[in-house]
Amino acid sequence: MPAAPPRRAHRHRHLHLDPAGATLPPALAKRRLGVLAVAFCVMFGAVVVKLADVQVLNPDRYVSQGQRQRFVSNVIPAGRGSILDRNGTELALSIPQKTVFADPGLVRNAPAAARRLAPLLGIDRAELVRRLTGPGRYVVLAHTVPDAVAAEVADLAVPGIAMFDEFKRYQPSGDVARSLLGRVSADGSRGYSGLEAQFEPVLGGRSGRVTYERSGGDADRTIAGGRQRVVPARPGRDVVLTLDRAMQFEAEQVLARHVAAARAKGGMAIVMRPDTGEVLAMANVATDPAAVPGDPGAVRPTSNNLALTTVYEPGSVNKVITLAGAIEEGVVRPDSSIAVPDRIQVADHLFTDHDPHPVTNWTTTDILATSSNVGTIMVAQQLGRDRIDAYLRQFGFGETSGLEFPNEASAQLLDPADWSGTSIGAIPIGQGLSVTALQMLNAYNVIANDGVLVAPRLVDATGTPTGRRRLPPSARRRVVSAPTAAAVRGMMAQVVERGTGEKAAVPGYSVAGKTGTARKPLADHMPGNGYMDRDGAYHYVATFAGFLPAEKPELSVIVVLDEPTSSIYASDVAAPAFSELARYALRRYAIPPAAVAAAADGVPQISASAQAIEDDPLPATPPPLPSTSPPPTSPPPTSPPPTSPPPTSAPAGRP
Amino acid sequence: MATTLTAPRRPVTNVRRNPSAAWHHLDVVLIGCVVAVSALGLLMIFSATRGPEQPFDYSFLERQTTFVVLGLGAMAVTALFDYRKVRDYAPFLYGGAMVLLVAVLVVGSRQKGTQGWFQLGKFQLQPSELAKLALIVAFAYLGAQFRNDVDLRRFAALLGLCLVPMALVMFQPDLGTTLVSAAVTVALLVVAGCRSRHLLALGVAGLLGIAVILQSGALDQYQKDRLTTFISQDDSRGTGQVEEASYNLNQSKIAIGSGGLWGKGLFQGTQTRLGNVPEQHTDFIFTAVGEELGLLGAASLLALYSVIVWRVWRTAQLARDDFGSLLCAGVLAMFVFQIFENVGMTMGIMPITGIPLPFMSYGGSATITSFMAMGLVLNVHMRRFT
Repeated sequence: MPAAPPRRAHRHRHLHLDPAGATLPPALAKRRLGVLAVAFCVMFGAVVVKLADVQVLNPDRYVSQGQRQRFVSNVIPAGRGSILDRNGTELALSIPQKTVFADPGLVRNAPAAARRLAPLLGIDRAELVRRLTGPGRYVVLAHTVPDAVAAEVADLAVPGIAMFDEFKRYQPSGDVARSLLGRVSADGSRGYSGLEAQFEPVLGGRSGRVTYERSGGDADRTIAGGRQRVVPARPGRDVVLTLDRAMQFEAEQVLARHVAAARAKGGMAIVMRPDTGEVLAMANVATDPAAVPGDPGAVRPTSNNLALTTVYEPGSVNKVITLAGAIEEGVVRPDSSIAVPDRIQVADHLFTDHDPHPVTNWTTTDILATSSNVGTIMVAQQLGRDRIDAYLRQFGFGETSGLEFPNEASAQLLDPADWSGTSIGAIPIGQGLSVTALQMLNAYNVIANDGVLVAPRLVDATGTPTGRRRLPPSARRRVVSAPTAAAVRGMMAQVVERGTGEKAAVPGYSVAGKTGTARKPLADHMPGNGYMDRDGAYHYVATFAGFLPAEKPELSVIVVLDEPTSSIYASDVAAPAFSELARYALRRYAIPPAAVAAAADGVPQISASAQAIEDDPLPATPPPLPSTSPPPTSPPPTSPPPTSPPPTSAPAGRP
Repeated sequence: MATTLTAPRRPVTNVRRNPSAAWHHLDVVLIGCVVAVSALGLLMIFSATRGPEQPFDYSFLERQTTFVVLGLGAMAVTALFDYRKVRDYAPFLYGGAMVLLVAVLVVGSRQKGTQGWFQLGKFQLQPSELAKLALIVAFAYLGAQFRNDVDLRRFAALLGLCLVPMALVMFQPDLGTTLVSAAVTVALLVVAGCRSRHLLALGVAGLLGIAVILQSGALDQYQKDRLTTFISQDDSRGTGQVEEASYNLNQSKIAIGSGGLWGKGLFQGTQTRLGNVPEQHTDFIFTAVGEELGLLGAASLLALYSVIVWRVWRTAQLARDDFGSLLCAGVLAMFVFQIFENVGMTMGIMPITGIPLPFMSYGGSATITSFMAMGLVLNVHMRRFT
């Protein structure tokens, strides 16, 4: 530092200064400058340390944040596979449509936006305002709107409202087969029930993803030459059913008509090909409880596939299995004759035939044709508990159908060890056990198939339109011998020809079938009698199951009506529905009558006495269920006398 | 000018014999650093404004180049014009600046809520930038006269001198420039030899004042947000709503943090290229340096600034008189505070305010003012023997 030049003093001419201060070096100022230097060094140091921290020591979170921000990922929705019927008709398919959503953070004037959008989207205006002003940045306003609505929403260009593609699930045939197909989620991406849920791995595609570098600011635009990665969406594969849409539609229509006519609560109908186990139609309908009884419009297909998911006590249709077992075991022959009274005491319960008759010599065929409870029980007693149980299980009641339909039910069979004294009377005639409608029809298919059980089949193939993969053919298992099956077929043909099933007949064809009118066990029942409601009335389920042509069956059909009230009898309400369905199916599949309409060997014609009964199978009188245990269980100690149908359901139209 | 005119008449040896000639004491190091930083600034402004893809936007580069050239001219003029003559005009400079500050409140144009610009054809003049210089000159003028003997009355006079432009700038309102002025004032008061107890009292009053201002409605909410964000910063992490203030900060940190040690390379910064950082070519230009040039580049820039600051501080020490010392101390405080505040805010150690980074940020008035400030320092430096 050079010495202060002499001129310095008078340069400060504006002010009188302390002479000492003027001549001395500005020590204080220099010292204070040192203070500043220290302060500034600290400041620089702080900046450098922070810089090193952000850039090198702990950069990870900033780097990853930057990546997240820079690389935008958009999901490419994958189309869901279609569900097709056996002819390739689409029963359910996915179509891309616009879903409208809002970013409440960008919506400037919610009331104005709501006023314009509410009529388009069909949402209440106040509700819309609430959604547009809610928290968050993403609110879906309407899923998969029609294209016209999407175009109008786009024209409005309301700030904060945008759209993206979502797949909407369409059922082009409306309600047809809805109980089988099931539902999908609102965005059309996931199956919730039915086949949509069961075949989710096949139908549901894997959504793709496009990741691209985007520019910041307002414009969400890709950068030319920016890095981009596309994982293409893999669309779902199709599921091809064995179902025939036309047959399904007809089954639903016919069933609904008959349910309405019978003033029943609901009904089920299944049409199958016995030789392959293919299900051609599976209809489930129910009457709207609020509707006027008898109104055909009140009967609609249900969402629940009752034919697979519920069990019921089948009643007399089960006699076929009992008698088939007895014939297979050589206990009886179709023409072996026994003296059948009209009542039989089994343990503490008196089983009766529906119509009183003197002790008569009836063949096994007569017993089936007249649906004699007493005769069947007498044969069953000879067959014995263990063999009856074994045949029930052999006919498929001990296992599920193998369809693996969601919530599929299976037969409820008592363990033989748990049979009560009356079980040997109740179970052979179809009370005290529960099966699904499909299981019962599939048991009939054993008879139709010359004694071979074929697992039912609902899905034929999966895959893309160009690459179908057929599912393996259904498993087969012999249950009874071919002659036994043929004999039972002949007996069942007699049922329709001259017995209880006459209304199931189809002109020109021989039909084999069996009626069943069963009392329903009730959850809310009279104390001491599980089948009687608190008003003292019984409720019935009417079934007709059979196949045709009887000699060489190509179709099998079951019709179940739940609580018919115009008549409780299967012969009145279920058999005509069977006949109508069978006629349609014969025409549709161009099935000719069997070449030789000869009766099976050893099956006698129905006897005159049996013909005279011309019975309608009075519902077998099962031992009343105890009030304390759910059906089916051991019968109660006391048994009321067999009752005729309640007065309200008096058999007005009986032959 | 006299020096260069007379030089040809003298023999070459006379140059050596007249070692006090101002020309020989030009601070080349300072000039070199300033030019280097300005060049880097041009590059980074171009990088931040050219856009993500062709055709690139050259308009910001061209305008800033104009500002730098104008600034170099202004620096030369400021340096050549003897600062002791500047002292004679100090009251007029100060008065003129105050008139401009008042005028801008009346007839200035408004941008982003701040009325602080005169629209002069294509360019804008920001009088608050010039007022910073006027404040320094005026303070040096008065402080040099008080000469280490600052009683309460003189202290009050110096303080008042500073408070007038600060108040006027605050009315615009331009919080950033006000804060810079406050920092300059404090530094100058310290260097001018004010008494410790006065400074202490000022500090306490300042703290109280800040508390009162935050409590009262004097600041808009957004200003308060920006000031307080850096206290409660971080980790609102994309979920839900990121406040706008912390959004700026987050973007800024993302850009700097993603640079790493070596940076992504010039023009390769993705955050920069995509315009994710708001106001990147002005207040957040440092983020472009951090992302594209990495820690090495950013540290180099800070090193250049350190050299500049060191040269200014050294000039303050070497100055022939207190006026020169105070001038340099004022410029020193202005630069250090602006650099610290600007770089600090991009990393969240300082609140976010609109303060440009000297020689780096885009902007005419700030660039030219910075060059003029350097001119003053060069002036003091080269005339320390005359």
